[in-house]
Amino acid sequence: MSKDRLTIVDGECDTALVTDYEATRREAVRRGIVTGGAVIAGATIPTLLRVGRAFAQSDGDGAVLESAVGLEQTAVVVYDTAFKSKLLEKPLALAVRLFRDQEQEHADALSQALEDLGGTPPEPPTSAEVKGLGSVRSQEDILRFAVELENMAVMAYVDAHMKLQSPELLKTGTQIMANEGQHLVLLRQALGASPAQSVPSAFEAGIDPAS
Amino acid sequence: MDALRIMRDPISRRRFFAGAGVTLAGGSAMFAAACGDDDETTEGGDAADSSSDIGILNSALALELTAIEAYTKGAPLLKGRVLAAGKEFLIHEQEHADGLTQAIKQLGGTTDAQAMKLDFSGLRNQDDVLRFATNLENVAIAAYVDALPKLSSPDLRATAAQIVTNEAEHVAVLQLALGNQPAPDAFVTGDANALA
Repeated sequence: MSKDRLTIVDGECDTALVTDYEATRREAVRRGIVTGGAVIAGATIPTLLRVGRAFAQSDGDGAVLESAVGLEQTAVVVYDTAFKSKLLEKPLALAVRLFRDQEQEHADALSQALEDLGGTPPEPPTSAEVKGLGSVRSQEDILRFAVELENMAVMAYVDAHMKLQSPELLKTGTQIMANEGQHLVLLRQALGASPAQSVPSAFEAGIDPAS
Repeated sequence: MDALRIMRDPISRRRFFAGAGVTLAGGSAMFAAACGDDDETTEGGDAADSSSDIGILNSALALELTAIEAYTKGAPLLKGRVLAAGKEFLIHEQEHADGLTQAIKQLGGTTDAQAMKLDFSGLRNQDDVLRFATNLENVAIAAYVDALPKLSSPDLRATAAQIVTNEAEHVAVLQLALGNQPAPDAFVTGDANALA
């Protein structure tokens, strides 16, 4: 794997949730965690930026759900773009298509849960709104981008498990987070990790260890 | 010292658990017996919450001890990169067990978990081990998914989520080694009856 250090570019960070995730990522970088050179903008999770609904500044389940829906919608767009890019070898393209469909299931379930709480799911981003996605030029670029996105999702779900109060939402969050981890396994192996290396941490935190 | 936060931080955790050894005694308990009937999650650490959490954590510990035994017993039948993965997963399960033990002690409890008594005599080759390990991991995943909402502490819930995600990743690797789909389900539920 490349030893390039992750670069975080400050984007628009106008919600407490984005600030939390940014702080987490910067902490990871400060502690010397490197990735494969992926560049991810602070605004790569666009729906976090567009969270301006009633729950946005609260700490309740609704705020967590809004954030989670945004992440899942972004993942759908990323995997859909990747699948349609024709940059992927066929077996990987089929896996990515499955991941897209699974992220859509996640988004749908979480959106329904948010509506049940009286909230309104955010609009999905367009591919142009996912900053950095337009810069991918190769299968490796796609894989590294996807790994970074999945890592962000895992981090978000770890945080969600600390904030969610509903037992049903906690159960759903756990099931989704576990699936994101499985995505990471295949993505890591596609980038050259051995089976052992594709599960680097006993406590999955969405942080790839220094290579 | 917050054992749970340290357990989740990859750098502090290794320092904290370096050289730690744990002595366990007593009977085992599965999640169903350990969990209370309350449907609400609660914050804070009153005596009832701690007692319930200790029960759940001991049940989780029993499953981790079982996984340790399974990966240890199965290792001689594994080869090459699969063996390397099995060894890595054994380390993970040991880290889970160590972390759960420390969490139980931090709550003022004692560890009374033992590994399940399983029959490993039917394991004849690598694929047998991979399928057996998958089933055991799925039992653990189902137990964690069910028990996690009943944990009273946010830190415990976050840590449990990280553990179950790790177990799900084990399943993905095991399934890939068997030539199967690594992530067939959008919602990973495990299977409480996988070893039945």
